Amino acid sequence: MRHTGAGFGIMILILLFSLTGRAQDEKDKLKLSGQFMTDQRFLLQKPNDWAWNENRLTLKLSKKFADKAKFHSEVWLRNIGLPQYNSMADLYNKGIIDPYNLEIREAYVQLYGFLSKNLDIKIGRQRIAWGTADMLNPTDNLNPYDYEDVLDFGRHRGSDAITLDYYFNADFSLQGVFIPFFQPDNLPVGIFANALIPEYDLPPDIVLDELTDETIRPRYNLAESTTAGTKFRGFAGGIDFSLSYVWGRDGLPFSIYNTFSPNDSLTAINIHSELAFTREHIFGADMATTIGGAGLWAEVAGFLPDHEVIMTNDFSPLFPSLPPVKQDSVVLKKQMYVKFVVGMDYHFANGSYLNFQYLHGYASERGAENLNDYFFITYDMKFFEERLKVMPVAGAFIVSDWKDVNNNYAIIYAPTITYMATDNAEISLSAPLFFGKGNNIFSRLTDYDMLMFRFKYSF
Amino acid sequence: MKRIKLLLISTVLMVQGTMAQDAGEILKKMDEVLYSSKDMMGKNRIVLIDKNGKEKIREAIFKQKGNDKRLFRFTKPASQDGISTLSLPNDVMYLYLPSFGKERRISSGVKSQKFAGTDFTYEDMEAKTFVEKYTGTLLGEEGDLLVLELIPKSPKSGYSKLITKVNKEHYYPVYTEYYDKGGNKIKIAKYTFKKIGKYWNSEVIEMTDLKKNHTTKMIMYDVKYDTGLNDDEFTVRKLKQ
Repeated sequence: MRHTGAGFGIMILILLFSLTGRAQDEKDKLKLSGQFMTDQRFLLQKPNDWAWNENRLTLKLSKKFADKAKFHSEVWLRNIGLPQYNSMADLYNKGIIDPYNLEIREAYVQLYGFLSKNLDIKIGRQRIAWGTADMLNPTDNLNPYDYEDVLDFGRHRGSDAITLDYYFNADFSLQGVFIPFFQPDNLPVGIFANALIPEYDLPPDIVLDELTDETIRPRYNLAESTTAGTKFRGFAGGIDFSLSYVWGRDGLPFSIYNTFSPNDSLTAINIHSELAFTREHIFGADMATTIGGAGLWAEVAGFLPDHEVIMTNDFSPLFPSLPPVKQDSVVLKKQMYVKFVVGMDYHFANGSYLNFQYLHGYASERGAENLNDYFFITYDMKFFEERLKVMPVAGAFIVSDWKDVNNNYAIIYAPTITYMATDNAEISLSAPLFFGKGNNIFSRLTDYDMLMFRFKYSF
Repeated sequence: MKRIKLLLISTVLMVQGTMAQDAGEILKKMDEVLYSSKDMMGKNRIVLIDKNGKEKIREAIFKQKGNDKRLFRFTKPASQDGISTLSLPNDVMYLYLPSFGKERRISSGVKSQKFAGTDFTYEDMEAKTFVEKYTGTLLGEEGDLLVLELIPKSPKSGYSKLITKVNKEHYYPVYTEYYDKGGNKIKIAKYTFKKIGKYWNSEVIEMTDLKKNHTTKMIMYDVKYDTGLNDDEFTVRKLKQ
């Protein structure tokens, strides 16, 4: 950790020294821009509970130093969630009555032509977006996933990282990324809180009373907590392509040790889970091109766990008079599993737009046998000089078991209307409806059909 | 009598042949006028005027090298700030959306679409030469203007033909009519050219969509020619900066 810190310190000093020298060439002014957004959702099912309340002020501060360097930051200042007061004491706490948070999404300095004219370096909190697909990117694994809003597909948080890009020429480049410490994914909140938590199968007549857990954090050292990645990008024969590799850690934990203990009641038990984040190698490839006026893309990622993940269920506390009763099961084999996406889009002569993607393996799914199939489609039409956008077809069809589709599927249908009231003010109304059966992320949302209202103002 | 008819027909064919040849030369001269600079850069003010006369303003900066490399970056309004397009040879086009933080290939099918809500299509914005894009026929003269019919060479074009009027002395266009695949006149463009140094610059292009009665004025200013832009300015690396 000390070595890592020293390395970072030296790097920042070099950057600042370099930047100060170059600041004399500064022409561009400090630029403040941003957006205000309010996102309000309520359930269609009576009594029409409020499902989501978010008021977000995005502030972007950026400054260019001629063509030599750039500073950029993006901060979210948010009032998110509904007041959760339960006692008089809570009324003294503004954080409970009026929940808010501050989030630094990005804050970095980028130097162009650092040490060599073909080398760019970016240091600080940054979003490193990989992949050619539209929001659903199996190769986009450097930044932690931000699952907070499960309907905001593909959202990631920024990572504190150093990125180096070396450009061989206009068409070929090599990127190297170093992230010194591990940042896990953050889970859905509000009504989506249980979307990523699989259902438990307990023996009949046994009721789960209390579920507790503890996460095993990787040690903050080079071997345990760092993430490194590299990507070779090219353009040849009319095709953009890249090959990538990441040595990282799965952002969602596996349950590796569950202790079942008795409760005061005879038929109820408590479970205590130990959760760990698995080391993994990720090999990726992607491409994008155009054929016959249509945009086409494909992306594939092979995930190879560093070791087999075994989950131990320890029933010993339930049977104190017997020898230890434990049961092991493999929850993730040390075998490569492959996620991929293929997609296309097309702009019709009448101004309408079609986008279709087939995804095998959602971001939160792990292990070959647990990967589901997703078919996403959107079709939109624009009216009144593009001020009004109507999206009558928007959604997804998900199959979690092809042998029994009737009981293992989900459908998301989210027709949307967007109106640009002015150049900078956008109002949208959407009605996400969920249908489905079985145990997949979106079939767990069937009770949450909702109406979404969003207003955005950019400045 | 037959002899007279044959003579007339052959004369007409000869005249048409001569005019077609003239049209080809005119297109070449137009290209020499419009695409003779090595590179250019400047700013664009785009004024969108609806049928009620209500105006919306967008601003952008652009850089261009030769006739097949162009970088276009919006600076206003705030909702479009930073949105950029990079056009490269062989119909390769990238779009950069700051909110996604990465570039995206744009399909060539987008060419007949309106460019950023204006009355120009991506095809209109192409920096390809007239000779590359059209087969011309000289229809005649109107005062100090030459009238040409231009047929797009690419079957992907959104137009069946263009009728353009060209300044006879300096060979820049002053007026163009655009016809859709059904032969209907759908748009007209008016050009105001001004000489900057040794080059003629289309200072104002006013494009009107006749069906929607909507007009876009594209005003170029702070234009500089031959500043020595190199190919590195027209790369995905630059697009993302």
